[in-house]
Amino acid sequence: MNDLLQIRGLCTEFRTEDGLVRAVDGVSWQVNPGRTLGIVGESGCGKSVSALSVMGLIPKPSGEIVGGQVWFKGQDLLKLTERQIREIRGNEIAMIFQEPMTSLNPVFTVGNQIVEAIKLHQKLRTRDAWDLAVESLQRVGVPSAAERVYAYPHQLSGGMRQRVMIAMALSCHPAVLIADEPTTALDVTIQAQILELLRRLQAGERMALVLITHDLAVIAQIAHTVAVMYASRIVEYTSVEALFDQPLHPYTQGLFRSLPRLGQKKRRLDAIGGTVPNPLAFPSGCKFHPRCPLGCDDKRCQSVEPNLRLIRPGHVLACFKAAGYEDSPPCDIPTQAPTEVSNG
Amino acid sequence: MVSYIIRRLLYAIPTILGVLLITFILFNLIPGDPSYDIAGKSASAETIAEIRRELGFDKPRFLDTEALSQGRIAAAFDSQFFNHFRNTLTLNFPRSLTSHEPIWDEIKSRAPASLTLAAPMFIGLIATSIAIALVVAFARGSWVDTILVFICVVGMSIPMLSYILFGQHYLAYELGWFPILGYESGMQAFKYIALPCLLGIASGLGSYVRFYRTVMLDEMRSDYVRTAFAKGLSSPRVLFKHVLKNAMIPIITTLVLSIPFLFLGSLLLERFFSIPGMGSYFLDAFNSRDFPVINAMVFTTSLLYVLGQLVTDICYALVDPRISLR
Amino acid sequence: MTEAALTSDIAVGKGRSLWADAWRRLLSRKLVVASLIVIAVFVMVALGVYAGLIARDWSEPVGPRYQRPSLEHGFGTDFLGRSVWRKTLYGAKISLTVAFLASLISICIGLPLGAIAGYFKGWIDELIVWLFTTVNSIPYIILILAFAFVLQGKTLFGYPLRGISVVYLVIGLTSWVGLCRLIRGEVLKHRDRDYVMAARAYGCSRSRIILGHVIPNVAHLVIINFSLRFVSFIHAEVILSFLGLGVKGEPSWGVMIDDARQELYRGCWWQLAAATLAIGLLCLALNIVGDALRDALDPKLRQGLE
Ligand SMILES: Nc1ncnc2c1ncn2[C@@H]1O[C@H](COP(=O)(O)OP(=O)(O)O)[C@@H](O)[C@H]1O
Ligand SMILES: [Mg+2]
Repeated sequence: MNDLLQIRGLCTEFRTEDGLVRAVDGVSWQVNPGRTLGIVGESGCGKSVSALSVMGLIPKPSGEIVGGQVWFKGQDLLKLTERQIREIRGNEIAMIFQEPMTSLNPVFTVGNQIVEAIKLHQKLRTRDAWDLAVESLQRVGVPSAAERVYAYPHQLSGGMRQRVMIAMALSCHPAVLIADEPTTALDVTIQAQILELLRRLQAGERMALVLITHDLAVIAQIAHTVAVMYASRIVEYTSVEALFDQPLHPYTQGLFRSLPRLGQKKRRLDAIGGTVPNPLAFPSGCKFHPRCPLGCDDKRCQSVEPNLRLIRPGHVLACFKAAGYEDSPPCDIPTQAPTEVSNG
Repeated sequence: MVSYIIRRLLYAIPTILGVLLITFILFNLIPGDPSYDIAGKSASAETIAEIRRELGFDKPRFLDTEALSQGRIAAAFDSQFFNHFRNTLTLNFPRSLTSHEPIWDEIKSRAPASLTLAAPMFIGLIATSIAIALVVAFARGSWVDTILVFICVVGMSIPMLSYILFGQHYLAYELGWFPILGYESGMQAFKYIALPCLLGIASGLGSYVRFYRTVMLDEMRSDYVRTAFAKGLSSPRVLFKHVLKNAMIPIITTLVLSIPFLFLGSLLLERFFSIPGMGSYFLDAFNSRDFPVINAMVFTTSLLYVLGQLVTDICYALVDPRISLR
Repeated sequence: MTEAALTSDIAVGKGRSLWADAWRRLLSRKLVVASLIVIAVFVMVALGVYAGLIARDWSEPVGPRYQRPSLEHGFGTDFLGRSVWRKTLYGAKISLTVAFLASLISICIGLPLGAIAGYFKGWIDELIVWLFTTVNSIPYIILILAFAFVLQGKTLFGYPLRGISVVYLVIGLTSWVGLCRLIRGEVLKHRDRDYVMAARAYGCSRSRIILGHVIPNVAHLVIINFSLRFVSFIHAEVILSFLGLGVKGEPSWGVMIDDARQELYRGCWWQLAAATLAIGLLCLALNIVGDALRDALDPKLRQGLE
């Protein structure tokens, strides 16, 4: 295990009133310093839950991690005590969320909230912590940071709040940053700024970044490798070049088709027919088969769930219909990804 | 700040006028002339006239049209309706029908005893409820939570009278831990209000804990709590710093809702423990059909309620930075 | 016309599945089913008393005075040697009658006022808001007692107001504010929804829109509100009866508590225990069902799960 953060076969379930929901089903991925992993998929496919599982933030009585490992710097986070994992949370692995509007506590100043994170993990005097908070606000491009530390969240715009969230997450210089749809709730121009900021900070700190999104355009701008999730599972996982060059899974292809192109009228994500399946009643076999343009009447697609296989170097895929799938070895994390070797 | 308070006070004016209208309808319009009731069947015409004059029932109901036609504007408004408004608003209540003392003096002299009981009861109830609600919210989903919530629901199903009877009889009479009844002003008062206070708190605890628990759990589902945990904060820290301060906002806004409970508590407790407060004054008036006192009490209590609301609004603005005082 | 019928079908159809769904959820919980049974038993007892089948001879002494609970004397006897058990059963009739009629009155005032305020907005709304703000600013118990004071001994449509009729009238007349406010808020939300717009566009009359479209969509709130409000009505009846305002010449639970007050000093706790137990059990069941109903019917809470 030389990877910085690697999760293997992660399974997370929720007990709901209507039954057991398996929100994450055998998901594996890895990420290394200076690299960005993009996780993409329609909403409800388990992206957030997989990230929260890594952080140990699954809501307790109803949710439970029922299988898998989360390896970070050689130890399995799932085996740590609550106290041990708190040392890592916010310190070595930090996370930012989709809703900058509600993710900050409305009744404390942003400075107070950043200082709280700093003092928790670093032995600093209060004065120094406040200085550090101002500094980290400056680093994420908050103008007149020395005054803004005393602002309450509602006095800031959405983009500014997301910058505050990033400043707070980065205040302890984490090794891994998990960003769960950090730009979804923002305007397009602000989106670009935030993404640019994330890329700059990541390059500067040689931080590992896990970026969750449902937007392939975001992936294209910032990710090195991409995991495509569908209905609690990863269905395709490869480098961003390979994916944009030739997406192999029909679901991924559908995502690409729904992207707006130049000179084309904008189409929405629902260019893939049908709807996201209900996690209480997933279809049998390949969960995508009812919506799949290729396999909807194939007996095998309907009855057997395809596993991830290494269909070519650096590219894993779970689809019976792909050429060469039968002869490929099972594999859940792409090995010898070309970009990773050359740039590593 | 001052302009905020003034604005809130202005909002209260229609409410106060509304209360006056309701009390006028209740005590002047519906019952009509009560003099015969009061004087008794065998009263002489003079006595009745006397009572009528004392209570102002000799005046025309709304407007003295005769005086108006003669151009005496001021006299025209010397009617039951306008006198009711004027006298009540200026707290210039008539005398009590039974004790013949001025009502407002009586209220003033009884207020301290009521306050001595109600204030500790109020503070104790809110503080205990918040403390227990925090524990319950901390243990959410566990059997501790389930059992405590169930106890709360049982507690709020039992009527307050049963608490009082049980407490007075067993804790005071049988066990002798508290005086059975009575009251003295000054420091001695605490000996006498201890049991009524405890009983009031006990009977209110169930519904308060349950409500505050819901408030806390709602807060705990918020995104900022997830952020706080993601920073690596421990559960108690998140609960006591982040959740509690946010939960105070709905808690403060609903504090004024406990005023009716306090009145009910005072009424019954003062009655049972012979505490000479406003509650027992009201009940005595009720039993002796002393309607000017009831009228005065309705007005003063609603005045207190409106003031309570004002204080609530100010506290609210102080806790929540999103509310500005301007 | 057909389109209007269609939109109304959509609105109500949504409602129907909500009810079926809620019912299924309720029945899936043992505690709720048990509570429903308890409530049903109390209702049956009350009906039995009305029909003269249960506790008809409650006023007959069944033995010596102040008998402890025993096999022979059941729940014991009171200061006149009457059976505490029969009095308790009889009290169910008073309590449930008061709570039911008070609810009815309260709904009859609160629902239309709230719907009108929310639907018409403007000065009507302001008037109604002013009315309930005013009523709400008088502490409940004071308001109830003041109303009771005034209404007692009066006649309404030739019907003399005394005993139990004062109790439910007073409780009903003073408790509509919460419902009115709730309905107003909800109707304000609903009035601009598509189905109401559509009905308006097809020329439905205002009263038809309110009755046929808006009210069915807020009806669940009435149910939730009143399943919980019922408890406070029962408690109010107890207090009023205890204060001597309620029923006379019939045993209600409040009257029993009043009787028990004297008896306690002779060491007779059973009448208090019986009344407390009866009130506690009924209210507990009502609280549990009310909570469960709210969980099952309130869409906001169900969204909150996500
Ligand atoms: N607290 C929860 N309780 C029950 N089910 C949940 C909870 N959180 C998430 N889920 C379920 O897990 C699935 C995945 O959710 P999520 O990871 O949030 O999706 P997304 O990919 O949009 O981030 C959803 O179907 C959702 O219903
Ligand atoms: Mg998500």
